[in-house]
Amino acid sequence: MSGVKTDSPNATAGRLEGLLVEFDSPTALVAAAEQIRDAGYRRWDTHTPFPVHGIDEAMGIRPTRLPFIVFLLGFIGCIGGLVLQWWTNATGASDFPGLPTFLQGYNYLISGKPEFSLPANIPVIFETTVLLAAFAAVFGMLAMNNLPKHHTALFASERFRRVTTDRFFVYVDAADAKFDEGQTTSFLGGLGGSQPEAIHDIASSPSALPGGLKVSTLILISLLFIPPLVIARARVAKSNEPRIHIIQDMDNQERFKAQQAASAFFADGRASRPQPEGTVARGDLRFDTHYYEGKIGGEYATTYPEQVTINEQFIRRGQERFNVYCAPCHGLGGAGNGTVNATALRLETAGWIAPTSLHDQLARSRPLGHIYNSISNGIRSMPPYGDQISPTDRWAIVSYIRALQFSQQADLDDVPPEVRPELR
Amino acid sequence: MCRRKCDPNCVRNKQETQQPNNMTAHTPDKQAVTAESQPLSNGAASVSRIALVIGAIGLIVGVVFGFRDGWEVFFRSYLLNYSYVLSIALGALFFVMLQHLTRAGWSVGIRRLAEFIAGTIPVLGVFFIPLLIPIFQGMAGVYEWSNAEIVAEDELLQHKASYLNAPFFVARCAVYFIIWSLLARYFLRKSLAQDATGDPKLTLDMMWWSAPGMLLYALTVTFFAVDALMSLNPHWFSTIWGVYYFSGALVGFFSLLAIVMHVVRNSQRMGQLLTREHFHDVGKLAFGFVVFWAYIAFSQYMLIWYANIPEETVWFQPRQADNWWIGVSLLLLFGHFVAPFLALVSRYPKRRSGLLVIAAGWLLLMHWLDLYYIVIPSGHAVAEHAAPLHVSDIALFVGLGGVFVAAFTRPMARHALAPQRDPWLHESLTFENV
Repeated sequence: MSGVKTDSPNATAGRLEGLLVEFDSPTALVAAAEQIRDAGYRRWDTHTPFPVHGIDEAMGIRPTRLPFIVFLLGFIGCIGGLVLQWWTNATGASDFPGLPTFLQGYNYLISGKPEFSLPANIPVIFETTVLLAAFAAVFGMLAMNNLPKHHTALFASERFRRVTTDRFFVYVDAADAKFDEGQTTSFLGGLGGSQPEAIHDIASSPSALPGGLKVSTLILISLLFIPPLVIARARVAKSNEPRIHIIQDMDNQERFKAQQAASAFFADGRASRPQPEGTVARGDLRFDTHYYEGKIGGEYATTYPEQVTINEQFIRRGQERFNVYCAPCHGLGGAGNGTVNATALRLETAGWIAPTSLHDQLARSRPLGHIYNSISNGIRSMPPYGDQISPTDRWAIVSYIRALQFSQQADLDDVPPEVRPELR
Repeated sequence: MCRRKCDPNCVRNKQETQQPNNMTAHTPDKQAVTAESQPLSNGAASVSRIALVIGAIGLIVGVVFGFRDGWEVFFRSYLLNYSYVLSIALGALFFVMLQHLTRAGWSVGIRRLAEFIAGTIPVLGVFFIPLLIPIFQGMAGVYEWSNAEIVAEDELLQHKASYLNAPFFVARCAVYFIIWSLLARYFLRKSLAQDATGDPKLTLDMMWWSAPGMLLYALTVTFFAVDALMSLNPHWFSTIWGVYYFSGALVGFFSLLAIVMHVVRNSQRMGQLLTREHFHDVGKLAFGFVVFWAYIAFSQYMLIWYANIPEETVWFQPRQADNWWIGVSLLLLFGHFVAPFLALVSRYPKRRSGLLVIAAGWLLLMHWLDLYYIVIPSGHAVAEHAAPLHVSDIALFVGLGGVFVAAFTRPMARHALAPQRDPWLHESLTFENV
């Protein structure tokens, strides 16, 4: 080790890591860096208290590739933000029916704007672009600089501590292909700085973690389990207590209560605005009287409207709706003997008018539109169901009633031959 | 050691004991700097004369078409091109004050060029006077609020008449031009005086005045944009309007600055003063203001689009009503933002003045298109029967553009091209983008 200063206490403690040279000025450092660059070294670095102009060139460092990474990630953020908004707001369950619910979009009309409208999407695209570009810049910079780095062999050097105040250093790593202890030492010694200092790894440094650190880490990790456990318990346990509302805006907001004399929302005491004269709310335009009223030119329709297709699925839907809404009075078979009727008769309710059997001559002779109209608006003592059952479902019920009526009038020829034996 | 403090002695010491910066490879030569920033005695003078002749021809052609096709068309084109050249001069004034306000060192070498461009404001103030004719004539096709018959039938304009009336308009514009002229003259004169004396006190004076100057600038430019351009649609309003005009103005200014720098350098001047680093920084500023313009323009658009209230959407309605204006809108979106964004995002073209000048020329055209988009479809019914692009739009572009070029190249023939004795000049000479 000729010419190498061995003032470091750990100098002989471990493997040689590299050589450190100290300079007094940035000018001397830049000049030395140029020589090291020209000598063909690859694994070396300079350390300064402040950025030094021209050091990149002197060290032969090529321009960083980070801008390309930032641009690429920014571009991905831009496209990703656009796709995210298209997916969440412009597609719905019906567009991709096979998908699980949590992956489906939810197309929702906002402010009467198109579901996919670029101007509204741009602020979000802007944010996602900036977010990913910023992440790329920060984390890319850290990764390309091998940061964070908790330890380096240079910490062993006393003189290196002044690198953050007023000294300038060159450090050549022993792992460099051109590194040869004797030759490199004499080369670095002739660069105009201090004598090269050999840096050794710290063999005496204990490898085990301190006991206190272990215990406190364990305690911290245990504490971190508490919040998820509390949440998990709350999700499975039952309670009679009301929910805790962290954000109580919905509880405290202004509202119009039933029986309240006047609302403070508008000057005329109403809580909402009446529909302007001559306007129709969205989806409330009902020009098609056949579908909405069961009438064609004022007469009851004898055909189904074009909006519905009669098939088994449709009739089964009618059956399901019939059993919900109609069967309580008319009975599951439509004979007018539902449970409500039975109860009324048992209690001898005054003024009870028994429900019509759907199988008597009058009911069978009614046109389709008449039955539809009866469901929609009620007939005699039967109340209207138009507000509760959608038009398509009302037509489905009509189709099921026709099926029920047919079932009571059919003869053997109407039964398919293969199922006839089951009737015996 | 006192660093960067506003102490005259400190500045003086620093200047006297100025050492070549030992941290950089190249060492600037002060004599060479003085030599290379000598006035372009012959070149600039002839450019100025030629530009003046071309400008005069353009103005005459514009007037001829004014006789033929009506004065409303003429003054609309005049307003378009006038607000174009004025915006560039205002951008230069902003740049000069900003450098003093932030005590910028990197830009000292190019600041004089901006001072020349800002120095055209007093001349441009004279060229504003013709725009008072349509106001006093009450031409409905230019400023409809100046027409008494229209105001008599329009309740909203009657309410706004206390602000939008001819005498008050003239008074306001007089105030704007006086403030701008005083500021532009002040910064140019002090800077030129420093060439002779080298007194660092002048720098401190300019730094002191840059702060109140900037405040006055912000207010006057905002009000000017509202008065001259927004009041073309007197029913309509946009609170971001002043910033919109300002952002476009800076795009125009940095583009022109890059071109002037390139031309000066190609005239065998300022070899040390205009380095790759300076082009890089001007390119960065141009890029930044392109993005800023897009941000402001979109902020205005999106709020109006989203609220969809007739009194606000009325401004965009004629601009999206036919294919010509839809095309102009899309050209602005792609030509004023997307294309220059992609072209200037890399450092490569910004550090090569030949490439930067191409982008700058394109941006100067786009800034014109932006004002064309603002001015031409605005206002009363006259716009509907006029062709979307009139000969006078081009003729007056040449006319006022020629006058503008003549006005800022003339002093380049007489005065040094850089503040040779500015105390921070060494920072500009040794500055590098890391």
